[in-house]
Amino acid sequence: MKIKILILALIICILGVLSIYSSTYQKEGVWQDIYMRQVLWMGIGLFCFFIVSRFNYRKLWDANYFIYALALFFLLLVFILGIVRLGAQRWLRFAWFNFQPSEFAKLAIIIFLARYFSRKSVNDTSLLSGKFGIFQGLILPFVFVAIPMFLIIEQPDLGSGLILLLVFICLLYLTHVRLKYIFTLLALLILPVPFFWHFLRDYQKQRLLVFLNPNIDPLGAGYTIIQSRIAIGSGGFFGRGWLSGSQSQLYFLPESHTDFIFATFSEQWGFLGGCLLILIYYLIIREGFAIAQRTQDTFGKLLAYGISLLLAIQVFINIAMNMGLAPVVGLPLPLMSYGGSSVLVTFVALGILVNIDRTRNVF
Amino acid sequence: MERKSILSLIIIIMFLALLAGLFGLDILQGEKFRKQSDSNCIRLISQLGSRGNILDRNGEIIVDNKLSYDVMILPQDLERIDFVLGKLNRILGSEVKELKAVFKKNFISKSVPVIVATNIELKKAILLEEYKAEEPSIVITPRPLRHYPYGALACHVIGYVNEIDRWRLTKLEDYGYKTKDIVGFGGIEEKYDYYLRQEEGGLSVEVNHRGKFMRVLGFQAPQNGKDVQLTLDLNIQKIAEEAISGRKGSVILMNPENGEILALANYPNFNPAVFVDQRSTLISSLFNNPDSPLVNRAIASSYPPASIFKIVDSAAALELKKINLSTTFICRGSTMVGSRKYSCWDTHGEEDIFAAIAHSCDIFFYKTGLLLGAQNIHDYALKLGLGRNIGFELPYETSGFIPSPLWRKINKFQSWFDGDTANLSIGQGDCLVTPLQAAGLITPFANGGYLVSPYILKAVGGLDLSAKKKKLTAVNFKKSNIGAISKGLRRVVTDSNGTGNALAVLPVAVAGKTGTAEVFRGSTHAWFVGFFPFDKPKFVICVFLENGGPGHAAAVIAKRIIEAMNTQGLI
Repeated sequence: MKIKILILALIICILGVLSIYSSTYQKEGVWQDIYMRQVLWMGIGLFCFFIVSRFNYRKLWDANYFIYALALFFLLLVFILGIVRLGAQRWLRFAWFNFQPSEFAKLAIIIFLARYFSRKSVNDTSLLSGKFGIFQGLILPFVFVAIPMFLIIEQPDLGSGLILLLVFICLLYLTHVRLKYIFTLLALLILPVPFFWHFLRDYQKQRLLVFLNPNIDPLGAGYTIIQSRIAIGSGGFFGRGWLSGSQSQLYFLPESHTDFIFATFSEQWGFLGGCLLILIYYLIIREGFAIAQRTQDTFGKLLAYGISLLLAIQVFINIAMNMGLAPVVGLPLPLMSYGGSSVLVTFVALGILVNIDRTRNVF
Repeated sequence: MERKSILSLIIIIMFLALLAGLFGLDILQGEKFRKQSDSNCIRLISQLGSRGNILDRNGEIIVDNKLSYDVMILPQDLERIDFVLGKLNRILGSEVKELKAVFKKNFISKSVPVIVATNIELKKAILLEEYKAEEPSIVITPRPLRHYPYGALACHVIGYVNEIDRWRLTKLEDYGYKTKDIVGFGGIEEKYDYYLRQEEGGLSVEVNHRGKFMRVLGFQAPQNGKDVQLTLDLNIQKIAEEAISGRKGSVILMNPENGEILALANYPNFNPAVFVDQRSTLISSLFNNPDSPLVNRAIASSYPPASIFKIVDSAAALELKKINLSTTFICRGSTMVGSRKYSCWDTHGEEDIFAAIAHSCDIFFYKTGLLLGAQNIHDYALKLGLGRNIGFELPYETSGFIPSPLWRKINKFQSWFDGDTANLSIGQGDCLVTPLQAAGLITPFANGGYLVSPYILKAVGGLDLSAKKKKLTAVNFKKSNIGAISKGLRRVVTDSNGTGNALAVLPVAVAGKTGTAEVFRGSTHAWFVGFFPFDKPKFVICVFLENGGPGHAAAVIAKRIIEAMNTQGLI
């Protein structure tokens, strides 16, 4: 089982490196070896994957407050020391690389939530979550999620913030928290949307408006969506071939090696390649769900579900956004997009997943 | 269902939605996006071929092309435009503001190269071409422009070229003409635009998102237009132009054997180069000039033929046997037609037809005309090519007009009187002919009885068309009658009192007829139609001077032309 996930993940990584190479090899200077950095991160990720997969995930139960606190610390640090790039302050500078704490925070919150909802009664070892009232079942965990979420949205990174919220809602749904509470939360979140509109940044408003109709601003905010759709569509059935495809090769498509790497990939490999990629992602996620279902331990189960869902939601939103089916939010395609933090955290998460499956038999 | 199954179902649906989306983009709309992708990165830079040259009968160039250079910018990256224009300004030496204004005016879309400067010097073009390595969004294209080595020479035959107008565009759209195309206006340029027209070729190049040139994808060589060879003889044309210069009117020289136009000159004329350079003040002054220099008077205006119409009377009267060669009338300076007195311009005494033609005696022809009747005169005028379009190749030909009693009745509700017949027989009244018709009128007497269809196109693209163009129609007059009228026409020159006596001094034997047309306002129009050499006519000449005085003035111009032709050995 461990091997299957690893192979699928590696295939995606390699396709990612190929796409990164193709979209940057013609640029001058540092751009040319950007794919080497991605290979390096892949290596580091793989290394972490093996470490984590041998490291009993139950230890995370004990460390969860520490992990949560560490995530909050990094997020706060971003505000003080963060590097501003592309108009957002999302990165922390380490020795030779930039680290994106929001990627780490996603995993941290899943661990925290899994731990929170799998606490058991001291008396009869039954799950506490079934008996949770509205405060314990909804408000308290929401506050815990809301703090890092707020910090991330303020960076600003609406995409990652919303991912946290979606994962939270899905986990709520999977635990025994009453549906009534979940719907209350949804209602509370959706009703004030018109009100929140005023708190969105101008570029976020524009992106949402442009999502509804990219042609209102074809050279500005709508440009990316239009170019991305053209790139995907022009691939046709078989694609235009690796290292060809004018959209990504001639830089009409912005962010072609990060958020819009699916469009780059799809232009070159066509419908066939795109389907294959989506299928591989689905297989990894299905594997995650299968692991969750096999696991007896509630913590492990929730953790596996959380990790699979995080992956699923990110993949879905990113690809949908590439196709113009979702608004443009700054969200990487896990394992594919250029970016060390994302690759590393995804490999660690997959490592945890594999470890859950391995440790299952111990109980 | 358990919550986890529902969730996995949702995940499956989400991924199926992604596949459906991909299917929609790649398969259903793939074609459209492929096109958009191409239009993103493929630019067409057109290169014009040159318009066909216009040559004279000997292959001498009347109109050709010279290369000029245009500066274009690939406008992908609009923010860089100011920078690029700034650089251009340094080389071209024109104001950045002006360049910007031109850029704005010519900007169509991001995918179409924008012309910012036209007709730049070769030196600057070379400089810019070198600078292109640094700034590849600059494109220099050669553009062949019409070049008129002889200025206004034969301008009415040639016409001019200009940007296509809306009216022509609506007519010609289906034949591949586009807005901003350069097409011919008037003359050969308009009539044979289809042959002269060049085919656009060009480069298709790939550019990146900044409009930076990446590589050439393909090249289609532009096709030059076909050369059009005219029947004009450049030397004779020059002589004709010189002779008419400064006098309002036109000169036509034609070969009576086949109808080839050897020279066709009008004055006032214009220099077609002003349309190439787009000198707008000069162009508007051409259009507003009351003397209408753009009008090809030789075919597009008609005038009363006056005494040259007496050739029609003579032919009709002899053919219908109303008179014979020995019939005489006595000219006492005037005669009564009905209750009105019609006078001659002189008192000629007893005149037979030869003397009457030579002296242009009005009384003789009043009487002949009255013997003939208006309808006969009208019919013979039409037989000799008057009153209808002769189907000449140049555009805007008018048909002229020959009145008849029937026409008068139907259109004016008036009766026809003998006075009208008298007026018609001396070519006055409502009667109108064009100078080209006047030249045609006399040809049967030069070539032994054939009406010719004048033509001016000799060959297209090296293919000689004159055999197809030559069209002779027999007028079926008796040889003796034709000979008699020719003899009369010769006497116009040889008779010491002949109206064309001015031409007698020429070493070439000329025959012809003068005309002095009364007009409502201003001085009379002067006519001279004739042919030479008399024994074996090779040329028909028509000189017309608008408000140019008596016919004698036209005869003097004709004399000058024939003299010059003779000294240059062109006869």
